[in-house]
Amino acid sequence: MGMTDAWVLPLLPAAAFVVLALFGPYLPRKGDWLAVLAIGSVFVLTLLIVADFTDALALQGEDFAGVTNSIQWMEVPGYLELNFGVHVDAITIVMLVVVSFVAFMVQVYSLGYMKGDARYGWYYAVISLFVASMLALVLADNFLLLYFSWELVGLCSYLLIGHYSHLRSAAEASKKAFITTRLGDVGLLIAIILLWRETGTMNIQGVIAAAEAGEVGREILTASVVLLFLGAMGKSAQFPFHVWLPDAMEGPTPVSALIHAATMVVAGVYLVARLLPLFELVAGGTELVLAIGLVTTIMSATMGLVMTDIKRVIAYSTLNSLGLMFVALGVGSPAAAMLYLFTHAFFKALLFLGAGSVIHATERQDVSGLGGLFSKMPLTGVTFAIGALSMAGLPFLAGFWAKDEILVALLENKIAFAFVLLTLPLTAMYMMRVFVLTFLGEPKEPEAQEHAHEGPPTMAVPLVLLAVLTLVTGFVVFDQVGRAMGFPGGIGEVIYLYGPHAFEFNVAVTLGSIALVAAGLGGGWYAWVVRPQLPASVMARLQPVHALLVNAYYLDALYQAIIDRVVLAGARVIAWFDRNVVNDTGIDGPAYTTGFAAYLMKFQQTGKLPNYALAMVIGIVALALVAFSLKA
Amino acid sequence: MEAVSQQIPLEHFLVLSAILFSIGVYGVLTRRNAVLILMSVELMLNAASINMVAFAAYASPAAFTGIIFAIFIITIAAAEVGLALAIILRIFRNRGTANVDEVDALKW
Repeated sequence: MGMTDAWVLPLLPAAAFVVLALFGPYLPRKGDWLAVLAIGSVFVLTLLIVADFTDALALQGEDFAGVTNSIQWMEVPGYLELNFGVHVDAITIVMLVVVSFVAFMVQVYSLGYMKGDARYGWYYAVISLFVASMLALVLADNFLLLYFSWELVGLCSYLLIGHYSHLRSAAEASKKAFITTRLGDVGLLIAIILLWRETGTMNIQGVIAAAEAGEVGREILTASVVLLFLGAMGKSAQFPFHVWLPDAMEGPTPVSALIHAATMVVAGVYLVARLLPLFELVAGGTELVLAIGLVTTIMSATMGLVMTDIKRVIAYSTLNSLGLMFVALGVGSPAAAMLYLFTHAFFKALLFLGAGSVIHATERQDVSGLGGLFSKMPLTGVTFAIGALSMAGLPFLAGFWAKDEILVALLENKIAFAFVLLTLPLTAMYMMRVFVLTFLGEPKEPEAQEHAHEGPPTMAVPLVLLAVLTLVTGFVVFDQVGRAMGFPGGIGEVIYLYGPHAFEFNVAVTLGSIALVAAGLGGGWYAWVVRPQLPASVMARLQPVHALLVNAYYLDALYQAIIDRVVLAGARVIAWFDRNVVNDTGIDGPAYTTGFAAYLMKFQQTGKLPNYALAMVIGIVALALVAFSLKA
Repeated sequence: MEAVSQQIPLEHFLVLSAILFSIGVYGVLTRRNAVLILMSVELMLNAASINMVAFAAYASPAAFTGIIFAIFIITIAAAEVGLALAIILRIFRNRGTANVDEVDALKW
């Protein structure tokens, strides 16, 4: 199994989807074993591909730019040539490992979590389709395949958010997610078409090369970069499109872990990282990425502090992390962004699966009904704490290394650096808060916890594995570890080939960030453990601020108002036009005219034979007269 | 013995055929009884046959084309009569009349 065989990866879960969708109900256990088997084999094959990749790297060193394997799909000579294929390079390898491993863990976890669900088989079918599309997305060597997969993951996200379709809130959330990301997807599509028109190729590497050679007009390139970023913003839930992600928590929790934390929402980061050379060619391109990332990070960090739904808090922390990744991309450090993406996938999936265990055990997901769960669910408590501390950025956990890498990359941009520093204690504080309110203190609803217990092994094992990874993945930044894993020169040289960059530690930055994180954690401990009345009194005193945050900066209300006032008003005008002009005049008009003409004509049909015969005779005589007169 | 074509001019045949045809048309248009209409139609067919035979004799006496046409017309007329009389019979059985202006159900 070499890198050129990577096209097999998406086909396995895709085949599982087809079988499950068609025959799922007739298979034993509704075919869940098939989905798990498919994704398990994908994970094993991914490891083989990684081995092949490190071999090639050892052989060719830094010149190794990836392997492409594509076939011609269609050709219009001299006009259009479309290839379909896979491109495997460092960035693909990172994404492949993340997607296949987290998907494997989530599918195993779902065996326990989704047990007894009314649409169990369908759940596994869709999640297989999602994994197939996500793998195709990261493997695609051309924009067309990338766009197909981009839409497919959006579709799967829609289907899975709306899994509990009997709940109105879930149905609304799935619509909201689909339509909001759609707004960005249109931008992506237009950008792809623009770039294709300018360069004549759909191949991603080809487009980048053409743009770097100056073959794309400046205005067109600027427009396409902005539109591309629009697509990335929609998928990665960046401000102002971020509103769909917290609502997406209506879906089953393993889905949140896989799609809305580890894989699909980082597709935007992946897209920007892959196309970063294009952004750097455009004046203000990277600054746009940086600004959007910063706004998202700050907004989500503040909102995370006041949300009471455990999954929503984690969703806001995901927004926080995604914003950070864009900040790193914006300052031109894709290596830091990809490292954060890599570590984030593990600890965020861990957090969501931990939250899933809590929800599974108590059927509550609002912290006002939880508390004191640690003694009942020590394993979940410990693993959740590891995830939360990693998210906060406590030293030696996965999140710490990546976050400090971003901080070092930010050193030259003082304003962005200051804002990111500001979010550090906030992040630490709300992670502490959600942990304390869920696991410590007295149970707020004791009756809900009488039967609380750890989940079955299928749920516990993924938690433990992800926790172990959260503990150790950060260490890949060291050269020695990187070399031991077969990456010469450390993972920094490998994780992103466009800008190889060794990991540097800045002692001052590291100490400062540790201090801020410790302050945040300590503040959280003080506020929610030592003086539990404090948050309520602060909340009461800062009522307007609290209301602002709880209502997510009133952005949802604003969008609703825009939809009501502008979109629906426009829709009403169009509906009037459609009803009166298109339908009543354009369609009904000819129909009624024809009907009226037929009404007039029908009286010619007397049914009496002599009338017809007479008409025939008159007609023939008339024709004969015409013929004779023409001849004469 | 001289051929017909040298004794009687072609116009005579054509005039006879036209008269016969016109009588047939008149009959079709004025008669109410379906059987009489059928008979008028036969007149029209025979007028056509006369035309065919006359042209055949004058235009290409050696070929049989026109005569074969006439034989076809006779055959088809026989088949048509068989069919039409059967239909008329059914109409008469069902409606108690063979008057075509009373059989006018097939309309709007």
